[in-house]
This record gives sequence, structure tokens and C-alpha cells, in this order.
Amino acid sequence: MQLGKRAAAVLAAVTVSGLLLTGCGGGGGGTSEGQTGGAATGGTLTLASPFDNNSFDRAALEIGNRVHYWMPVYDTLLVLDENAELQPNLATEWSYNADNTVLNLKLREGVKFTDGAPFDGEAVKANLEHLKNGKGQNAYMAASIGSIDVVSPTEVNLNLSQPDPGLVFYLGVVGGAVASPTALASPDIATTPVGSGPYTLDKSATTAGSQYTYTRNPDYWNQEDFPYDKIVVKPIADNTARLNALKSGQVDAGIIEAKSIKEAEGSRLKVSTEPVDWHGLFIADREGKTVPALGDVRVRQAINMAIDAESILKNLQLGQGEVTDQIFNTKSQAYVEELDNKYSFDLDAAKKLMSEAGYADGFEVLMPDLATYPQLTPIIEQQLGALNIRVNWQKVSADASISEVLSGKFPMFFFSLGSQSAWQDFQKVALPTSPWNTAKVNNPELNALVQAARVAKPGEEQDKAMQAVNTWMVDNAWFAPWYRVDNIIATSAKTEATAQPWNVAPWIRNYRPAS
Amino acid sequence: MINFLARRLFAGVVLILVITTLAYALIYSSAGNAARNILGENATADDVAAKARELGLDRPLHEQYFDWFSNAIRGDLGVSWFTSEPVSALLANRLPVTLSMVILAVLVTAVISAILGVTAAVRGGWLDRLLQVVSVIGFSLPNFWVALVLVVIFAVAVPIFPATGYVPMSESLSGWFLALILPVIALVLGGIASAAQQIRGAVIDVLDMDYVRTLRARGLSSTSVLLRHVLRNAAPPALTVLSLQFIALLGGAVVIERVFAIPGMGTLTINSSFQGDVPALMGVVVALVILVVIVNLVIDLANGWINPKARLQ
Repeated sequence: MQLGKRAAAVLAAVTVSGLLLTGCGGGGGGTSEGQTGGAATGGTLTLASPFDNNSFDRAALEIGNRVHYWMPVYDTLLVLDENAELQPNLATEWSYNADNTVLNLKLREGVKFTDGAPFDGEAVKANLEHLKNGKGQNAYMAASIGSIDVVSPTEVNLNLSQPDPGLVFYLGVVGGAVASPTALASPDIATTPVGSGPYTLDKSATTAGSQYTYTRNPDYWNQEDFPYDKIVVKPIADNTARLNALKSGQVDAGIIEAKSIKEAEGSRLKVSTEPVDWHGLFIADREGKTVPALGDVRVRQAINMAIDAESILKNLQLGQGEVTDQIFNTKSQAYVEELDNKYSFDLDAAKKLMSEAGYADGFEVLMPDLATYPQLTPIIEQQLGALNIRVNWQKVSADASISEVLSGKFPMFFFSLGSQSAWQDFQKVALPTSPWNTAKVNNPELNALVQAARVAKPGEEQDKAMQAVNTWMVDNAWFAPWYRVDNIIATSAKTEATAQPWNVAPWIRNYRPAS
Repeated sequence: MINFLARRLFAGVVLILVITTLAYALIYSSAGNAARNILGENATADDVAAKARELGLDRPLHEQYFDWFSNAIRGDLGVSWFTSEPVSALLANRLPVTLSMVILAVLVTAVISAILGVTAAVRGGWLDRLLQVVSVIGFSLPNFWVALVLVVIFAVAVPIFPATGYVPMSESLSGWFLALILPVIALVLGGIASAAQQIRGAVIDVLDMDYVRTLRARGLSSTSVLLRHVLRNAAPPALTVLSLQFIALLGGAVVIERVFAIPGMGTLTINSSFQGDVPALMGVVVALVILVVIVNLVIDLANGWINPKARLQ
């Protein structure tokens, strides 16, 4: 009976395929014409993105997965390479003045936007002002720019209200994206991007929500960094659907979840990883205003020691990541290798610390039960329970997760946060006004260290200052990080992708035909 | 017939008003998160508050609803808070995708369930029993599971159909058809099982009527009795089931669109819900309610045309 069913299924499949392929022609399957030769340049790169594009408005551009939509059309002033080092691009040189308050940029000559407008100092000024005043997610990247002097068509000075060590890194991503000044004022900018990048959006072959098609910009100045003639980006939200699209050859690369690695490898897909986000607890009420116990550093350290991060990583992420006790990524200026094992799992030591702090019987704490991480609720409850810490859970829906955890009502909460450049991360978590410093803790010691990092000379001096901030935060157990979780990129056999530090999606220039 | 139509239209308009009002009130309760979701995790509280004011979220619910409603009846459904696209354009892109899938699914359901239901009712015996067993199995298989199995077999192992995506009819008729085959099969399986059962029951009921016996006694052939009299009188319950199927398929499309990465109303609904995009979500609600009202109206009219008694009820 089994054999009969299978035979019938195969027969039906063959019959239907014959009918459809002969009668209807193509239309369904693979999209990578031109790549049959393997390593040859040209052809099409088709990417699956977990998110749809939000907007092509230069002020609304985002890092993360959405770089795939705008990077083909908008070139950036600088480039962050695969080692998170800055490289020249539209800006050929950059340098600070003595007190790091003026950033001088020398601009590439002879570049034009695809509408014919020249790329020059005025265009850079218009773009940075558009970003700063646009109220998009990344307006903060231009927040420190007080004014912009156009010295000449090929030189600008960015006058900063105060030193901003993150600025040069921002210029390698959304902060440095450049659109045609004419298009910035157009009401169509959200759907019709005009840039000077390696590709242009082919609107006739683009359907929002379904497929975005980009064709080569023949006038682009750096063609060799972009081997493909055509880029297609398909928003595919579901992990299984992305994996199926990869396996069936519909797309050449996409992000997959840890649980799909074996299946991907079994289907002859290549898998590469890069840790980008860290997972762990934010011990927000560090001053103990709501939960006095959390104001005691020994309690916070005990919480760090009581979490068996290795087991959680092994069971929830299938080992895809690295256990750590710091919130910074390995390529961050603030990264200190020794801090990865500052608080190893040691329940006895943790209990001893709780006892010394006078909290052997534990305490109660309100935490959000996040719909986006339902599997963690029992784990956190069990691990904290070992220290007699009793969690009162408050349900939080998926659409409210960020606004609720940032509301300041939770003394402690779990979250997954991306780690980029050190200063960018300081802006998120370390300042009294930082959004992820939800209890708005204003610690003079930490403020002084952050200020020292701000004014330090770029290079070794700045690195050390950044690491001092990190060390202080770990020593004072501001967080209880568990691990840096791997971001997993699967590619077809004919495609190579180099993971990009600090970003879940590789840049478009990181994809090449396999050699 | 005019009165019948007017009554149905009036009921439809009332339904649209009630549903949109209730939906707005429900969606409004989570709209406060939209400003944060738009500005992202790095925005300050001040920026979020300013964005909320810009979106009008600081105003009372009734004011916001009145503004939305007064614009909506003029055809202006606003602009998506997240993509800055007009909601009407979003719907114009997404609705045809879902409709083409659902209409195809309803047609397939109607044809196959009619054949199965009538055959089982007329023939009876082992065929009837087999149909009932198959119906129960078909009804109990979750459509997302069927979809995944179909993709693994017919898109990955034997790559006949695309695993994901949608091709507009205007771009390629064959591409459109190929892209919809697996989603439609996944969608209709449960529907066929349930509709076939309903049709079978309706046909058996009619076959038991006295007038059917009379017609047979007058020497009419079984085929003639079946096609000209039994099916006509068994049609109203079948049509009602199909209209319910249509509405259920719209719901089922949410899951199927996700499995096949089809950019239809389901995808739009999920994305808008997660983000708290009130204008887009309200656009979805309006479009779907109007669709449901139209389907019910068409079915009522069809029932009224088939069965004059229905017009008087």
C-alpha cells in the first residue's frame, strides 16, 4: 500500500510537471540566471530577508536586516569592512582636529547620482541634515553634528557639539548613506530611491512586500566590489519558508535559525556564523529604588553567577554562540577577553554572596513575560529560584515588548540586544539618558569613565578608555549577560557570503559567486 | 427583490460600521507602542513622546476615530506609519494576491466537494463510507502541516512548483498558476472535506422528499431528477457552506501566506499587528469586512434567485 501511494505520487508529480512545463513555460523556480558558470561574475544574487523594507527615505534607513534594501542604491561615505575596520569609500580621507570636535572629510571626485546630480560637499551636508532632522530610528547618528561647513566640493568639516567617538563608524552605515539632494526633497523618496550606489532600483520588477529588484548602475565608480549584475531581495518572514526557498534554489542566501543548521547542511547549503546580539538580564534597578536588593552589587553579582548560561546556550541555541559576562562584541573597542569568564556559573558562590548581602531568603522582583521569548520564562524562574528570588511575571505582547521593557517599570528583564561599535553601545546603555538604562541610573564614576572615553584620542588611548567603561560595568554587574548568540547565514553552493561584524545581515558587497 | 436587496445592503453597512468601530477601539489599546516601534530601541523617551503626538496618539479615542472615519468614508484610509505608503495602495497590492488565492480555492472546493458530495449521496454504499472517512482525515489535517509537506515534496525534493513567492497574473499567467497550486491545495483540503459532507447531507435530504418520488413515478430519468430538481433544492445550504468557506479561507490564508511567503493580506495583517500600525490594520479590517459583506450579499442573492422563499425570510 505504501509503495503504491508513493508510486502514484511520483507518477502524479511527473505528469503534472510535464504538463505544466510544456504547456506553461517557466515562471516558478530558480532566479539565478547567469550563475550557472559558478565563479563567473555577473548574474543575479537573490537574497531572502526576514523583514520587508520599511522605506527608502534616507532619514528612515535602518541597520540590521534592512541594509539589503538600501545598500544597493545608497553608497556610504566610509565602509566598515569584514573586520569592522573603517575603509575609505565616498570619503577618501577623514581626520579629527586636536580636540575631536571637527571631523574633516575629503570627498571622492567625479561621482554622480543616478539622476545626474553631482556628489559633493553640498550633497553630504544635505544628507546629514536630512538624517538629523528626519526623526528616523538612526537620527542619533547625526545628533552630535552641530553644523557642517562645505569647504569645497570635495571637502567638508563636520563641527560637533561634543566629541562623538561613534561618528566615523556611523558614516560606514546609515549615518553615511548618501542620496541625491534632489530626491531628498521629493515626496516619492520613500518608494523611489535615487543614490550613487552600485545598483538602481528597477521599479518595473519590484513589488513592495514581494520582491525588490536592483540592476547595475553602469556609472558606479567601484564595479569590481560588486560582482553581480542584478540583486533581488525577497522578504520571507518565516524561517522554514526561507530555508525551503534556499533548498529549492529560489534564493541564494538568507538568515536561518540555529535549529535549521543541520537541515541546511544536509541540503548542501553552506552555513557561516557571526555573533551579533547578546542575550541576558538587564539588572535595571541598580540603585535599588524599587527592589532594594538589586542596589547591592553582591546581589547583582550573585545573579550573574546563578545563571547557567552554558546550559541555556546549549539547549536553546543548540550551542550556537559564546558564553560571556560582557555586553560588547569581540570586535568592539570595549571588548576585554578576560571579562567573558568574570562570573562563571557557581551556585554555591552565588548563594554565599546573597547571604553576605543579607538576602539569603531572596526577594521578589517584577519581570516581563515576553511573548517574543516564551521559552525563557520557566528557565529564568528556575535559575533565579535557586537564589530564592521569586519572579512576579507580567505578560507583555510582541508589539509592546520594546516599549514595555523600556518603560522603566521592570527592575529586571531579559532581552536580546545587538552590539555594534563601543560608543554606539554606550549610547544605548551607559549614559543617564540612555534608553536601555531604563531606571536612569546616574553614576558619577561611570559618567567620568564615559566622558574620558569620549574625549580620548582615537586609537589605543580611546580603546583603553572604552575598555575601562566595560570593566566597570562588569565589575558592578550592571547586567547579567549570558551569551553572544550566533547570527547564522546560509548560502547556496554557488554563493559565498562573509559575515559582517556588528550587523545581522552581511553587506551587499560581502556576497560573491563561489570560486 | 429590490426590498430584499435593500435590506441586505443596509445590514451590510451596519455590520461595517460596528466592526470598524470595535476594531478601532481594540487596536487603539496597543497603539501606544507604535511610536516606540517606529523609532526603534535607541530612541529617547522624549523622541517617543514627540512621535506619539505627531501620530495623534495623545488625543482621546473618539477624536482619533472620528478623524479616521471621516477620512475613510471619503476613501482616504491614511498612510502606513511604518512604510509611509498610502494604505489604499497597500491594499491594492495585497488584496488581489489573497483574493486570487482564495477565489481559486473556493472554486476548487465548490467543484470537488460538489462532485464528491453528490456522488456519495446518490451512490451510497462503500463510496459514501469512504468519502466520510476521507473527509474526517482531510478535516483533521492542519493546513500549515499540509503546506509544509507539499513544499518538501513538490518544491524541494521534486522541484515542480516554487517553494515560496507569488507571481502577479499580469507578469506571467503560468507563473501565477504555478505559484498558487501548492497554497491552494493546502487551503482547500479541509474545506473540501467539510463542504462535501454538507452537500452530501443536503442532497440526501432532498432525495428523500415526496416530490422526488413523485417525479420518479412520473417516469423522469434519475439524471434529470438529480440535475433539474434535486441539485436546485439542495443548493442553498451548499451555497451557505461555500460562503462560510470563503470567509474561513481568508483566515486560513494568514497561515498559508506565511508558509509560502506570499505577500497578501495575511502577511500585511501579521506585520501590521506586530508593529501596531493602526492605519494599515484598520485598512485590512475595512477591506475584509467589506469583502465578507459582499460575499454574503452575493450568496443571499443567489439563494433568493434559486429559492424565492428565501427572499421573503
